[in-house]
Amino acid sequence: MELKTLAILIPLLPLAGSALVGAIGLRGLKDRSHWLVLAGVTAALFCAVSLFYQVNTELNRGGSETAAAIGAHAQIDPSQQVGYGKLAESFTIYEWIPAGAADWLNVTFRVDPLTIVMLLTVLSVSTMVVMYSVGYMRDHHGHAELGYERFFAFLGLFVFSMCMLVLAGNFLLLYLGWELVGLCSYLLIGFYYQKPSAAAAAKKAFLVNRIGDFGFGLGILLIYLTFNTLDYQEVFNMVANSKMAGDLALSTERITTIALLLFCGAMGKSAQLPLHVWLPDAMEGPTPVSALIHAATMVTAGVYMVARCSVIFAASPIAMWIVGAIGAATALFAATIALTQFDMKRILAYSTLSQLGYMFLGLGVGAFDSAMFHLYTHAFFKACLFLGAGSVMHAMAGEIDIRRFSGLRKAMPITYFTFLISGLALAGVPLLSAFWSKDEIIHAALASSTPWLGWIGLVTAFLTAFYTFRMIFMAFHNEERLPRGVEHAHESGVWMSAPLVLLAIGAVFAGYVGVTTGHGGFLGMFEPHGAFHHFLAPNFSDAKGHEMTVAAAQGVAHGAGEHGSESHWLMWLSSGLAFYGIFNAWYFYTRRPGIPLAIALASGSVYKLFYHKYYVDELYDLVFVRPLRRLGDMCYACDRFVINGILWIIAAIPRAIGFLLRGWQQGAMQGYALGMVVGLVVIMWWVLANA
Amino acid sequence: MPNPTALMIVGALLFAIGVVGFLTRRNMIVMFLSTEVMFQGVLMNLVGMGLLHGNIQGQGLGIFVLVIAAVEAGLGLAIVVMLYRRRGTLDAENWRSLRG
Repeated sequence: MELKTLAILIPLLPLAGSALVGAIGLRGLKDRSHWLVLAGVTAALFCAVSLFYQVNTELNRGGSETAAAIGAHAQIDPSQQVGYGKLAESFTIYEWIPAGAADWLNVTFRVDPLTIVMLLTVLSVSTMVVMYSVGYMRDHHGHAELGYERFFAFLGLFVFSMCMLVLAGNFLLLYLGWELVGLCSYLLIGFYYQKPSAAAAAKKAFLVNRIGDFGFGLGILLIYLTFNTLDYQEVFNMVANSKMAGDLALSTERITTIALLLFCGAMGKSAQLPLHVWLPDAMEGPTPVSALIHAATMVTAGVYMVARCSVIFAASPIAMWIVGAIGAATALFAATIALTQFDMKRILAYSTLSQLGYMFLGLGVGAFDSAMFHLYTHAFFKACLFLGAGSVMHAMAGEIDIRRFSGLRKAMPITYFTFLISGLALAGVPLLSAFWSKDEIIHAALASSTPWLGWIGLVTAFLTAFYTFRMIFMAFHNEERLPRGVEHAHESGVWMSAPLVLLAIGAVFAGYVGVTTGHGGFLGMFEPHGAFHHFLAPNFSDAKGHEMTVAAAQGVAHGAGEHGSESHWLMWLSSGLAFYGIFNAWYFYTRRPGIPLAIALASGSVYKLFYHKYYVDELYDLVFVRPLRRLGDMCYACDRFVINGILWIIAAIPRAIGFLLRGWQQGAMQGYALGMVVGLVVIMWWVLANA
Repeated sequence: MPNPTALMIVGALLFAIGVVGFLTRRNMIVMFLSTEVMFQGVLMNLVGMGLLHGNIQGQGLGIFVLVIAAVEAGLGLAIVVMLYRRRGTLDAENWRSLRG
């Protein structure tokens, strides 16, 4: 199929599934509602794979041939495409708001390597999660939960929104997708809307996102103000040439403002400090939603957006520094909180925050491709971890506190092994996916002008290994203990286990598309910067500068030439840290269970600080929520007493007049008639007197 | 050719009779008749004015008013019949409770 057809089909198939389920799910499909959405998402995945092969072929053909091939059916003149060139195609799907000369109000899809990486990640994880939900959204007897069809309709809508977000060819459409995924997130967090905590969490997520989106919207407006267009390609070209719409030179301040405003949106959506507060609460939603939206896909939209706008960000050193610093701060901050939590899903949520922090760290030091690589590997192992936690939750009748159960290893072997594999990947154990991606980010940070970011990354890597395995040892090891009301733990059915296994396979092998072999790196076999980076190179060539582009485009690992020996010690160090963290967790939580308590007691206030999540929620409550509520109360009082009072007074005037005049109306018709006659006489007299 | 002044005098007299009838009687049918008499008085005035101005618009308007008065009379009588069925009397005093 042609690229354009595929690009249209990818978002539309899930949308069609979702709309059909929404229309007839409740009446006709009921507990078979999943089929339509599953079919739509799977078909979209196949479309994305086909798209990938086509673009990959184009990429490998390379050179003028590609430019000619694409120029034939691309909207944008190939000669305009600085740097990106060759691999980006924009299709105008629909003229959204016909506005004369301004053609940026179209629904434009853009297909380039970055889009395809995101589509593959999103759709493969989505397929797994939809499959998993079929098993998860049922009770033990296989009866569908209340709202089953609603769940799948929302899930389909989310996949559509996410595809729109990544396929968008201009900032307006990006904003549309951005808000749509926010809406789906709200709907799905609040899926159990009867539960007050879920409703509150949904509201919180929506409101916190709104703060970020406000900045994002302003950023888009400023882009339009500066460049007089919202089309990606045109904006990026102008930034690359440092030009404004009126041929004026672009000032650094302006570009920094744009970058930081855009980053505001990313902070909200990707839950970075200080807008991270919604993500842990978002775990109130059903677990598949946490896995799909709040771990693998939607929260990475911020990372995607910054990578997409890499040209803009790279043009502003200050913005880059802020992105990196916030990323590193979030990574460390969230990891320390995760050390002390007991709710499996919350630990994973903080871990997600931490990993997103890594991605922003990578973006901040200019390693855009490494950040995207981490996004891609993270999607698999984190989705797998969440789904594993969901599987445990399902077996434990909704209990998720790791103090309440232990030793589930025997009872739930599939969940245990997949969880273990993904946990190893998250911990950064060598040869699993996150090892490659995380190391690349740390390596890039150490090699950058801000090496301390890399050191924060290394500390966080140790913490990550520790908290992950703390959770694994507490939940799956030691003697078997079940929460009250659960007679025996049982393994989940095939609908739930199959996605777990597939994602675990992804967690092991996903990293290998990002490494090359045979350059004599770690273990003498693998080198960073493999096919993945080669594939993405056209996207980041402008941002990364000429030298690195050439290296990446030729598939030459720069680890080998420039800093080969450094990457060796880094690989040894980070794997050593991972193993040390795992060993500590094992020692603390299986051999000497007294130690954690002793440390908690000894550290006292520090432990409390971590356990209470740095009191950020309380701080926000004090600084923002309560004053705002007070303001709301004041407005309400003002409305009630001042405005309503004035209205009451105004209404009282006719009422008083009516009260006075009411006495005239006696109901005797002759009385009225007499009044009329008298009036008539008076008028006549008046007319005659003035004549 | 009738004299317009005479016509208007007749009209004024009819109107006055109607007003007095309306004010003094309690029987709804008689009150209704009185309003009709007032109507005819106004109509006479209209025709007289038309004559005074030397055109037929006054008479034309008169015909219209006559038709509408007939329709309105049908409606009014129907209401009176309904009111009579409710209370079994034609005394307007019975309906004082309708006051505002």
